[in-house]
Amino acid sequence: MDSVVSIAIVGSGPAGCYVAQSLRRALPESEITIYDRLASPFGLVRYGVAPDHQSTKSIQAQFARLFERENVRFAGNITVGSDVSLDELRSTHNIVVLASGLSEDRVVGVPGEDLPEVHRAGRLTRVFNAHPMEPVGVPDFGGAVAVIGGGNVSIDVLRLLIKRPEDFANSDVDDTALGQYAQAPVRRVEFICRSTVANAPSDPVMLAELGRIPGVAFTCSDPVAVPEDATRQASARAKALEGLLELAPGPQTRVQVALHFGWSPVRILGADHVEGVELRSVEDDREHRRVATDSVVTAVGFDFDRHNWHGLGELSRNLETGALDRGLYRTGWIKRGSRGTIAENRACAKAVAEEILADLPALDPAPRPGYDGLPEDVRARAVDYAAWRRVDLAEASAAAHGRARKKFPSHDHMVAIAHDTLAGPSGAGNH
Amino acid sequence: MKIQVLFGTESGNAEMAAEDLALSVRSDDQEVEVHDLSDFSISELQHDALYVFICSTYGEGDLPNTALPFFADLNIVRPDLAWVRYAIFGLGDTFYSETYSQGATKLADKLNELGAERVGEFGRYDASSWEPVGEKAVEWFSGVLEAAAQMQ
Repeated sequence: MDSVVSIAIVGSGPAGCYVAQSLRRALPESEITIYDRLASPFGLVRYGVAPDHQSTKSIQAQFARLFERENVRFAGNITVGSDVSLDELRSTHNIVVLASGLSEDRVVGVPGEDLPEVHRAGRLTRVFNAHPMEPVGVPDFGGAVAVIGGGNVSIDVLRLLIKRPEDFANSDVDDTALGQYAQAPVRRVEFICRSTVANAPSDPVMLAELGRIPGVAFTCSDPVAVPEDATRQASARAKALEGLLELAPGPQTRVQVALHFGWSPVRILGADHVEGVELRSVEDDREHRRVATDSVVTAVGFDFDRHNWHGLGELSRNLETGALDRGLYRTGWIKRGSRGTIAENRACAKAVAEEILADLPALDPAPRPGYDGLPEDVRARAVDYAAWRRVDLAEASAAAHGRARKKFPSHDHMVAIAHDTLAGPSGAGNH
Repeated sequence: MKIQVLFGTESGNAEMAAEDLALSVRSDDQEVEVHDLSDFSISELQHDALYVFICSTYGEGDLPNTALPFFADLNIVRPDLAWVRYAIFGLGDTFYSETYSQGATKLADKLNELGAERVGEFGRYDASSWEPVGEKAVEWFSGVLEAAAQMQ
């Protein structure tokens, strides 16, 4: 294929940005557009990484270069599936790469999960991140909550729940959510990890970080030590946990955290309301443990959003390949499942880009117009990068003292700022 | 003197720093090449170059995956690097206090052990600072060039 290749990438999170990088390097002349349903780019970096982990969010600076210097177009505020169909996108671009991630919280699959006090980690993280499509706010957790899941998202949730408002300095936490939560913070957390300490999926440094929050008393009735020949990561995890257990805030204790390792949830207890969780030992299934709680947060991974998967039906389960169909690919979590760090998407994107390059000669050689081939009303609603920067600057200047930015919780408001059509004094008189 | 920038990256930030550095060096009319350590073999090391390693840290203070084959070759082949001059800039995050910037330290220790000579300060970049990594690398490298000039 000799003509200019037009490429559509669906989703501007890490998966989409990394694949744009790889494709831009390999195809300097190609026309690349990254579409996003939101007016803001960067997806999970902005709304999935916890608001108090700003150094993790600093990867944004790298992705911003795509739009600032590398001639990649951002087209936000366009939902593939409603504003434009996937078929339309495919007929106007030579290549379409789905990089829309997994946003639906996976269910644990135990009885009692439909009780009203069972909440989901991904949603909660988005609430604290002022995601414009999570308007419901922070739930009432009661005095005691069980956090089910032992990975880093689960630790994010635990950390958000046990921090005091003053522990969010320099974050971009949503102060409305934080204020709501501060009305009735939990006093006890049961942290339930199915794996033993040696095999737990958590990053040791994430555990160690918990020890820097004042007023938290940690307990664990399971063995913390790992075998001599355990991996370095397992040893580091055990050491981090030992550090937590040595803390003794005494009368300063605000919140207690009971850690369970090697326990699998069997059912969520309660008839109309959550009353606790029943656990079973993974090493001896005759051994059960009950914890009494008022609510539950599940953090056991992510799955397809049934309402937002581009009408593809069951995506191919062959994880070896990024290709779904002729000219249609996927990368990131929708290829690999919800595991791994942000950086792992880079290697994944490189592999998918190589697949695409290898397939190019066999693709339909007729040029396709790319973004310019989309209907005018679609292009009119698009938020391009310059328009997003207006939102970006407005957020930065609206930041309260001690906040990195104030993320606007209304998507309409974001779009209005982006399109410079905001009613009132700041938007009037510009046209 | 040819400048060879070799980057080892997991998230791409070290690559970004390497490109920024190369851009700034090129605008000073210096000859410069940029290579991903994953595409660079120890047999390509040349006598008349200054090697600039830009390397991040991953996992428990390890080298990034893309730098592991190069590092493994240093360990296995153990080339005599007494004629190699290098500068090094490590990327890390002080949030990971115990392993901060350890990837670059491991690489530098290995190069030193094999006889290579470091030029200039050991550069360190902290992601928690939110400073532009490319600018910090360029700033650091001007000191390296001064040190290199004094050695000649």
